[in-house]
Amino acid sequence: MNVVEAFVLREARLLDEQRYAEWLELFAEDAVYWIPTQPNQASPHDALSIIYEPRTLLAVRVERLMRGEMHVQSPPSRTVHHVSAVEIEGDEARSSLIVAEWRAGEARWFAARVMHKLRKEANGLRIVVKRVDLVDGEAPHRAIAVPL
Amino acid sequence: MIESLVRGDAVHRAAYIDPAMFALEEERIFRRAWLYAAHESEVPNAGDYVLTRLGPEEVILVRREDGGLSALYNRCAHRGARIVSQPSGNARQLRCPYHSWTYRLDGSLVGVPLAEGYSDTHDLQGLSAVPRLESYRGFVFASHSAAGASLADFLGGLKSAFDNLVDRAPAGTVTRFGGSLRLEYRGNWKMFMENAVDLVHPNFVHRSSVDAARVHPEALEADAITQQGAEMFLANGMRAAQWDEVPLHAFPGGHVYMDGFYRQGVIAPERDDPVFERYRRALIERHGADKAAAVLAVDRFNNLVWPNISVNSRFGAMRVVRPLAVDHTVVDVVCFRLDGAPEEMHQLTLQFVNLAASPASLVASDDLEIFERCQRGLASGTNEWINMSRGAAGEMRADRRQADGSIVSGGTSELPIRHQFETWKTWMAQ
Repeated sequence: MNVVEAFVLREARLLDEQRYAEWLELFAEDAVYWIPTQPNQASPHDALSIIYEPRTLLAVRVERLMRGEMHVQSPPSRTVHHVSAVEIEGDEARSSLIVAEWRAGEARWFAARVMHKLRKEANGLRIVVKRVDLVDGEAPHRAIAVPL
Repeated sequence: MIESLVRGDAVHRAAYIDPAMFALEEERIFRRAWLYAAHESEVPNAGDYVLTRLGPEEVILVRREDGGLSALYNRCAHRGARIVSQPSGNARQLRCPYHSWTYRLDGSLVGVPLAEGYSDTHDLQGLSAVPRLESYRGFVFASHSAAGASLADFLGGLKSAFDNLVDRAPAGTVTRFGGSLRLEYRGNWKMFMENAVDLVHPNFVHRSSVDAARVHPEALEADAITQQGAEMFLANGMRAAQWDEVPLHAFPGGHVYMDGFYRQGVIAPERDDPVFERYRRALIERHGADKAAAVLAVDRFNNLVWPNISVNSRFGAMRVVRPLAVDHTVVDVVCFRLDGAPEEMHQLTLQFVNLAASPASLVASDDLEIFERCQRGLASGTNEWINMSRGAAGEMRADRRQADGSIVSGGTSELPIRHQFETWKTWMAQ
């Protein structure tokens, strides 16, 4: 398997295994994690985003995920991040993502196109941008706790 | 009967869980009160329209050729099909996709194909208009009731929330921008409005984001976007005594605002940077130094316009609470650009709202979780009464009547919730 594809699949698996600290390590110091609200949103500065976080804020998000008093993860979700149709072009990987989430007796699904922009660093590949374009980014959503 | 559901210090759970009570709210509150429809900047030109929800109804808000606005029920006068299905757009006429009945932008009927075949006994009608439509400083409201107080009287003491938002714009107008964030929860709509002025909950509900932000003090030294996000997370960690210093103002009509929030020094009311300085100079140019200082000194956090709006003038944001069922609510969060202000300020607005109000927000997501737990919890047990007594009696009671007609309480009092229910009772009882 291609090393980039393996990286993208591992990133998704770390979320399913709730290994959030290791997941955060995959992001470069200048990384951005972005879930726009609008289809084809050109910039995070034109419109609202479900998440637009530089790594410093992503670190706060991960810190919270690992704390017991986080109500919206008590009990925690179980998820399957299903990644497919990975295409690699230059430093970018594009893929399709389906996330099945089960929590507190209820199941729900997300569907998205994902773009990873990657960089080779001394300690291996790192994410510079992870962009998750939900099919229904502009729709109402219940609380989202586990990253997509 | 309704009166018996609201006591001074408790409310019957039927108000949150009984579908019949929700139906009565639709009839007596959401079919009568002034409800926010849209902002004028969303429909600047003739033919521009947006779809909006006014309580239980879907409405087309459209700019006519004469420059005025029409609010039309989105239902063809013939067979009832929705006329408009795009959330926004521009049209010269409104045409039903089913049998092509066509209407002017004021709703009057232009023409009907094969008109001669329809029964003469049935008048061919135009689209029905929402009975009342008024703007306050660019914010468009409508009411399904032909009778009632004017919009200005209805907004009463909370006109000031819109005044402050618009007065912050150096060009004198604000423009809706950035789309919207939409949250959904399986709980009653009133929970959102109560929680927005409940200052006991942040320390408990938002503990995880406070603690997580405290582990990462470097966020306070980062770029402006990160810094204001970290400040916002940390603000929820103020001690109870500090929260009590945040005065809550309750106005006739059920409106409430939270004052003196930024003075607590956790979220900066103004920024000490070149962008803000440019902005301040532009504002002084418009208003003069004294008024500009007064406009910037308004440091309210949530301004709640009863029944279903929360305005944050400092951060140019508004939340509109949309009740769908007794146990199902959607909240739309929108932003406004301060016309004439530096572009960087609008980026800060967007990013603040992302972090504070998104369904994935470290803060809002825990609120949504609590609403759903309340909704499920309320249905069980034999205790039919919900406590809202904090600050109603005893040592904590320090309500003060102000010259502007408001009653002020300490921040951790449940005065605003009791006040909202007094208004609720008045509308629901008749």
